[in-house]
This record gives sequence, structure tokens and C-alpha cells, in this order.
Amino acid sequence: MSETATAERVVDSSESAAAPEASAGTPRAKILVVDDEPKSLYALQELLSSLEQNLMVAQSGEEALKLALKHDFAVILLDVRMPGLDGFETAKLIRGRERSKQTPIIFLTAQADEMNSMFRGYAVGAVDYLMKPVVPEVLKSKVSIFVELHMKSERLRESEDKLRRLAAHLISVREEERAHIAREIHDELGQVLTGIKMEVGWLQKRLKEPALLEKTESMSKLIDSTVQTVRKIATGLRPEMLDDMGLVAAVGWQAKEFQKRTGIRCRAKLPPESKYDLEISTCVFRIFQEILTNVARHARATRVDVELSVTEERFNLEVVDNGVGIADSDLHGRKSLGLLGMQERAMLFGGEVGITGTPGQGTRVSVSIPIGRTTGPIP
Amino acid sequence: MKVIIADDHPVVRQGLRQMLAVEQDLQVVGEARNGQEVVDLSRRVPWEVAVLDYNMPGKNGLELIKELRQRYPGRAVLILSMYPEDRYAVRALKAGASGYLTKESAPDELVSAIRKVASGGRYVTPTLGEKLALELEDNRGKPLHETLSDREYQVMWMIASGKTVRQIADELFLSPNTVSTHRTRILRKMNMKSNAELMHYAIAHHLVD
Repeated sequence: MSETATAERVVDSSESAAAPEASAGTPRAKILVVDDEPKSLYALQELLSSLEQNLMVAQSGEEALKLALKHDFAVILLDVRMPGLDGFETAKLIRGRERSKQTPIIFLTAQADEMNSMFRGYAVGAVDYLMKPVVPEVLKSKVSIFVELHMKSERLRESEDKLRRLAAHLISVREEERAHIAREIHDELGQVLTGIKMEVGWLQKRLKEPALLEKTESMSKLIDSTVQTVRKIATGLRPEMLDDMGLVAAVGWQAKEFQKRTGIRCRAKLPPESKYDLEISTCVFRIFQEILTNVARHARATRVDVELSVTEERFNLEVVDNGVGIADSDLHGRKSLGLLGMQERAMLFGGEVGITGTPGQGTRVSVSIPIGRTTGPIP
Repeated sequence: MKVIIADDHPVVRQGLRQMLAVEQDLQVVGEARNGQEVVDLSRRVPWEVAVLDYNMPGKNGLELIKELRQRYPGRAVLILSMYPEDRYAVRALKAGASGYLTKESAPDELVSAIRKVASGGRYVTPTLGEKLALELEDNRGKPLHETLSDREYQVMWMIASGKTVRQIADELFLSPNTVSTHRTRILRKMNMKSNAELMHYAIAHHLVD
């Protein structure tokens, strides 16, 4: 009778303990206590309540598994002897799941003399072993270590996440800015120059004196070369091809430009043109540019083969050169920020970049990015 | 000849108007600032030639060409664009434009282009014409530079860019002797006698800037 009452209280407290977590100023870690004995469950709860963390309880292995599916625990205290799923089996299942495969587990056992069970425990992922009856101070200090560890890794994850979001923001802001400046330069400056050129042409038609005609002629040439410079700057910032003709045409153009600029033969195998989401197209294009920049700078290649293919779900871009081959140490070195930048860009759209180098035989970069929305064929 | 002009930039429209006003046989009958205005204007006024900017707000240039060609099959659309012709001209012509000029073209060129397309002809600049001819020629046989190995191609490109044997050797981590050997083989394969010939070929085939 009294046992049932205790059990109910225990379940209650686990639910009420969950409530303040959302509103509390300082974040709390979740601790799961698993024991089939309501009394020892109650005792453990009492002991740990002074840690002021978010305590949850389960009275069976099955219950524990369900909770581990929904929550990330800082540590799980697991009774070894339970009817149904015992502690070892429960631990094995918990650690077998992606979400909880790193969760630390402390086994609780009454069988002080069983070395064998201790080994079994460690084999299924136990980080520690406590003998019942537990010494309150030992239990508390062990649990707090895991709580602290958990909080630290949470903070690390958060700051990683923030950095990633910041990088994503910077990438998109820079892209917008480039597009804007390119448009302004090209449209405004370019068109005014065209206007001036026409005015000069008008003047030219009315002039008879050779010296003046010569002047207008040289003015006209000067305007032409300025227009070309303007165009080069604008295209360098953002190729208008990407907006007008789409990714496939832009990649083809970039490959030709690369060959023209570096003398490194660049062959591109491309799919039929179609219109794709502009942001994802930009992402693939910028990664492609970065790959080519790396080839020109480091590869000492004489040839680059590019293949862009599009499946129902993904863009696949393969760029293979026949240069010196990137060393593994360079893939992760401090100088590999450009490579990191490509990965970050790809990750923004759920894609990935793989780089493999064989010394003396060249480097292969494979980019795969989900296609997102398709906006239909180019008119 | 009745001409409509379209450009989203007032300076350009004004320049065009002034330029065409001098010509006795040409008359600007209307102006538009964007694709939709072109469509409206083309219905309202009689015209023979439309001189359009490729990139106006609203409709994309190719769509506009197609639409005008479909509605008025007998009339001419001439594209006057800021974009270099090597990237856009062929697409515009395929879509049904009668000609493609960049805004760098001399005023006289524009005027003669308008006259030519108005009489049913097509107009391409000499540069584009040459390029198309080269492409045809290249399609018949392998162009000479394609007979080179990758390394030879790179050395050829460097010679055509005006680099000396020593510079090439340094950049490619090769000995000057090796570079000279490459050069000899390149000249033999391409049936040429001098670096100047190589340069000329590379420029004509747009292998260098």
C-alpha cells in the first residue's frame, strides 16, 4: 500500500521537475535514475535533489529506453537487477541508439563481490560502478562531474552552432552585396558610358577638322576600354550568366575562362541547361570557382576535368586535376580555410564536399548538394 | 523606316534618338523602358525594326525576342546589349533576333545594321562572324591546338601570352631545355615557324585574352 503511494509520488515528481526547465534562467541538465524498487528510487531522488538538476525516473528498462529516445541525459543511473530488461541489456540498447550512444551510464548494484558483472557493465558502456548502499557524497560528486561535463559540451555545441550560423549569414550577406555592387556598376556606370559614347558619336558626325576628329576618335576608344573594365569588374564580382542563363551555362563559361586565363586545359561535361534555385546555383558555382582557384594556385596541373550532373535530388560536381595531389596534412592544416569555406557553403544547403589527393597523381573534389526547388526549363 | 527603341536607361535612349535623328531614312516612332512597354508599344504603333536592350527590367531578353518574332514574323528585332557577344549573341540569334550589337559598336555600325535587318537581312559583327566561321572550320577537323598534349598546350599558351622560355621554365618547375624541346614540338605539330605565328593563332582562336 505504502509502496504504491511512493511510486506515484515518484512519477509525479519526475513530471513536475521537467516543468521549470524551460523557464529557469540557468539551464539544467537532465539526469535519469532507473530502479525497479520504488524505495531505492525515492532514496536516490532525495539524495540527488540537492544538485538542483532536472531529475527523471524510470521503474523499468523499457521505461528508461522510452525516455532516452526523447531526452538527452547528462548521466543515467542504472540498476543492474531489474525484472524484464535488466540493466546490462538496457544499457546496450541505450548506447546502441544514435541519440544516446555517448550518454554516460553509472551502474548500481548490490552484488559487491561480482567482478564479473562489473566487466560486463563496462563492456556495454558503463563509465562507473556504484555499490549499494551508495555513499551519498560519492554518488553526488560522481553525478555532478557528469553534469558539469554535459553542460560544457552543451555550451560548446551552442557556440559551434552560433559560429556556423554566423558564417552562413556572412556568406549570404557577401553574396548579396557582390550582386548589388555588380549590378550598380554594370547598369549605372556602363549605361552612362554608353550614353557618353553616343554623344561623342553625335559630335563626330558634325566635325570636319581632322585634329578634332582625331580627339573624338580617341575619346571613343577610351570609353570602350572603360566599358570593358567595368564589365570585367562586374563579372568578377558576380557573373551575370548565373542570373540570366543559369548554373550549367555559368559553369561552362567559367571552365572556358579558366583555360583562357591559366593555360591549363579544362574540359567540362555538362547536363542540358535548366533553371534551378538561384541560391543553390550560386552555392555550387562559388564552390566550383574556389576549386579552380586552388587548382591554379597549388596543383601544378596541366589538365582539369569537370563533370556536372544533375539527378532528381542532387547536383553532383566532380573536378579532377592531374597535378601534384593535395596532401592529407594540407586538408586539415591552418592554411585550409578555403577548403573549410567550401564545406561550410555546401553544408548550408545540406550538401557535402569530399577531397582526395594522391601524391603525384592529382586531386579529386566531389561536391554533392540537394537540388532544392526546380523552377522549370530556361525559356 | 520606322524604328522603336527600348532601353531602361534614359541616357541611352536619348543617345539613340539623337543618333538616328540624323539619318533621313530612319524615324523613331516610339520608346519603351521595359519589356512590358515594348509589348504594348509594338501593338500601338506601326514599326519595322525594334532596337532592344538585352537586359531590361521585367521580361528576359530572350523571351521578348521570341514574343515579338511570334507576333510579327516579318519584322526585325535588333539587340543592342552591354554584354559581350561571345556569350549572348548566338542565343539571341537562335531565339529569332535579326542581329546583335554591343553598345561599344560605332554609331555608323548601328545605323547600317538597322538598314540591313529592315530589308530582311541578318547582321552580325565581323568579330562574331569570324568566330562562327572558325567554329564551323573547327567542327570539320580537329583544330590544331587540340593535337597538342596537355603540357604542350600549357607551354603554347604561355608562349602566346608573351612569356620567355626562362619564365616558363621557372613557373612550371621545368628546365629551360625541356621547355625548348616542348616549343620545338609544338611548332612542328602546329605547322608554324615562330612565336609570333603562335600568338596570332591563339588570339584568333580566343585561347588567350
